[in-house]
Amino acid sequence: MLMTVGLILLAVGGLVSLWRQLQMLQQNSYFPSRYYGWMKESYVFEVTAECFAFCLAAFLYEKALALLIAAAVLLAVRLILAVSQHRKSIKKLVVTGRVKRLYGAAILVFALLVAGYALADGQTQMILRMLIAMFGLVTPLTALFAWLLTKPIESTFTAYYIRDAKRILKEHSGITVIGVTGSYGKTTTKFILQRLLDEKFNVVTTPHSFNTPMGVVRTIRGDIKPETQIFICEMGAKKTGDIKEICDIVHPDHGIITSVGPQHLDTFHSVDNVFATKFELYDAVTQKGGKLFANAESAGIAERVAKCPKALLFGGDSECRAENVTCGREGSSFDLVLFGERVPVKTRLLGAHAVNDIVAAASLAKALGVSAEEIRFAVSALKPTEHRLEMKSWQKGSVLIDDAYNANPEGCLAAVEVLGSFEGMVKTIITPGLIELGTKEYECNFNLGAKAAEVCDEIILVGKNRSKPLHEGALSKGFDEAHIHVVSSFAEAMQVYLPTVSPNHVVLLENDLPDNYLN
Amino acid sequence: MKTNIAVLYGCRSVEHEVSIISAVQAMRSINREKYDVTPIYVTKSGEMYTGEMMFAIESYRDTEKLMREADPVCLIRTGDSVVVRFLNQKAFHKKADIPVNVAFPIVHGTNCEDGTVAGLLEYLNLPYVGCDVLSAAVGMDKVVFKNVLENAGLPVLPCVSFRAREYVLEKERITAEVMEKVGLPAIVKPVNLGSSVGITKAKTPEELDDAISLAVSFSDKVLVEHAVTALREINCSVLGDPDSCEASVCEEPFMHDEILSYKDKYLGNADKSGASKGMASLGRKIPADLTAEKTEEIRKLACDIFRATGSSGVVRIDFMIDTETDKVYANEINTIPGSLAFYLWEATGLSYTDMIDRLIEIAFRRQRNRDNMTFTIDTNILSGVSFGTKGSKGSKM
Repeated sequence: MLMTVGLILLAVGGLVSLWRQLQMLQQNSYFPSRYYGWMKESYVFEVTAECFAFCLAAFLYEKALALLIAAAVLLAVRLILAVSQHRKSIKKLVVTGRVKRLYGAAILVFALLVAGYALADGQTQMILRMLIAMFGLVTPLTALFAWLLTKPIESTFTAYYIRDAKRILKEHSGITVIGVTGSYGKTTTKFILQRLLDEKFNVVTTPHSFNTPMGVVRTIRGDIKPETQIFICEMGAKKTGDIKEICDIVHPDHGIITSVGPQHLDTFHSVDNVFATKFELYDAVTQKGGKLFANAESAGIAERVAKCPKALLFGGDSECRAENVTCGREGSSFDLVLFGERVPVKTRLLGAHAVNDIVAAASLAKALGVSAEEIRFAVSALKPTEHRLEMKSWQKGSVLIDDAYNANPEGCLAAVEVLGSFEGMVKTIITPGLIELGTKEYECNFNLGAKAAEVCDEIILVGKNRSKPLHEGALSKGFDEAHIHVVSSFAEAMQVYLPTVSPNHVVLLENDLPDNYLN
Repeated sequence: MKTNIAVLYGCRSVEHEVSIISAVQAMRSINREKYDVTPIYVTKSGEMYTGEMMFAIESYRDTEKLMREADPVCLIRTGDSVVVRFLNQKAFHKKADIPVNVAFPIVHGTNCEDGTVAGLLEYLNLPYVGCDVLSAAVGMDKVVFKNVLENAGLPVLPCVSFRAREYVLEKERITAEVMEKVGLPAIVKPVNLGSSVGITKAKTPEELDDAISLAVSFSDKVLVEHAVTALREINCSVLGDPDSCEASVCEEPFMHDEILSYKDKYLGNADKSGASKGMASLGRKIPADLTAEKTEEIRKLACDIFRATGSSGVVRIDFMIDTETDKVYANEINTIPGSLAFYLWEATGLSYTDMIDRLIEIAFRRQRNRDNMTFTIDTNILSGVSFGTKGSKGSKM
């Protein structure tokens, strides 16, 4: 009896820990291979601990009371861990129908094993006990077993959802589908395109960065209404054939390829394969006689497009490009050149990438009949993402560029370049530098300091110890030390800086960190 | 999958019947290949009914029978959509909600055309055809309308306005003011009624008193303006929204009585055919016999007025030309004109069906503009708040 209760506790503990496993399985799009990759990288310690616990349980298999106590303690620990991990995770487990079914399958397995254990005896009972201990302790196995059990049901569901989405699009006569793909910039381009097309059409977009076949199917089934005229579909790819798979569902009329770069090389194996996959969109679009725009500024695309007679280029010196780009207190200003027509625009979006994304969206919008005036207004109404090169008017009429959420080295350098493009203004950077970059941390911060020295008038560093590399980087470029201010907190930075600002000041707030990092 | 249009009409208004005529005409002209139509007939007491018989004008001859046969419904929001919900459900034969994608109010007069119905639809956050709350209200109140136009530098006749109570208590002062600012002959109008109900012309002080007495029986607010003796009335319709609008050809209605009375406007040709055909059947000349310059002047003025009032959809603006001075004055705006002024657009080269198509597009466009302007704040500031009453343990702000 004690043994049975102990085993049930083990099983319940297993179900508790399953939460995190399913979260990871879900975030790896339910691909066991990707999930295994995650385990290999981030879960080795836990797996070892689980196997160790399993051995212990095996050792304890005759001693019912010890097992019961161990299982109870383990359950308590796992509960605490699961709750704290759940709270901490940025991308939490979304309890979808599928997650419920996976849980159901796991519960069913445990219930059958425990019932079997209670009824069986001898050798069989011992094997069942081992199985309960195994599934209760080594939860990745439980997750994978539940995945295997539910797979046939899921395939049926998936097939039905895809068929239903295809039916909706087919019955929706007159809807225009636009595919947006690329290694970088596809989400931003998608949202800019939506705003531009909003001037003339009823547009539905895949939300957030939904870009998998099921994400697309969900949008079609949930958001497309009878009045919808355009569906913009972001298409993500992690391996060859992924774009074609989405194209076979939505049959895009037009497309944009924002960039092709060395992303997901572990699954693509080569950049050539990335090109081939992104250009699956070209094949789909040409079948329907539509337009495909590809970014001339992304390395290798122009050469590739030369082999695709029907593809059009944007950016660079192609037919659709930005000219006379300047940056000032009103944001970016430039001339959109679209098929020979010149449209002067202003936007609060900053940086070369944003300009390029606007060119991409405007090219297609123009081709679909949005007028130059409408494009001018829509571009002026674009909203930046919060804390990503977000331009704000600030104290005493000065300008603040809030790039607090930027924590990647190239992004930070690009932000400093944006600051540099504010011609004729007094430029200040406030930053604690970058963290969690391992062996490259010193180098990245040094480079950031050096870059800041090239463009800034004042450098305010937050955190005495951790900003040393930045300090050294700035000095290496011969920056006047009198204009470097080291402070201990963001609040102190404000005290140093605020009294000096005037309308002619522009301040870049770069990678603002929580105060616990500062010392 | 078709866009479902809910056509709202009828309502608590003196122009209830006119609205039925306009709505039935419109429903018959909607492109049914592209749209579904759900009629929502609002009775004079404000109840909503729907049913297939609503498409036939004959059904409205016996309203009691109509009420018995039709289904009482309401228009509500549930989750992401707005639906027509059936109120009297039978236990074993439940009628499913009808999702609505866009509303098309075809109502005339106070208590509906004045922004009341627009307010209901905005409250539901449902895209709808026509003027929003403010522009509809401005269009309904002739005094506010004139003030808005004056502010925008657009031509209107001098006027005096007052409330019924003021007239009773301070008759001499008001009469003196009318004589000084407006003079005789004068036109007396109840403010905020559509059509021409209660409007009379006064040539003598006695007639003025009678005219005002009639007007106050229709409205609490009265407007007296100078009557142009040698006058031509010219109407022009505008279609679009404040960002982009265009004017139709002009029309000149024939005046039987000195001004176009309610009888002329809606019952004019009723005797001969037996069935009233609304505004479309009124005696008129289209296009109005005007010089090209005058026509252009009026069409441009019409668009200016449309923008100044912030209108949307299709409106009809009525002008007066003083034939002695050749000056044009804006008289009034109909934010939901009788028959939706389709006859003016047909004469301009746009069929009724295509015009409705445009109106639906404009409705969706306004909704998109609003969605793009709306800032949603995701954090609920109340989530961490409770009122710290004495003895309770709730956290304080």
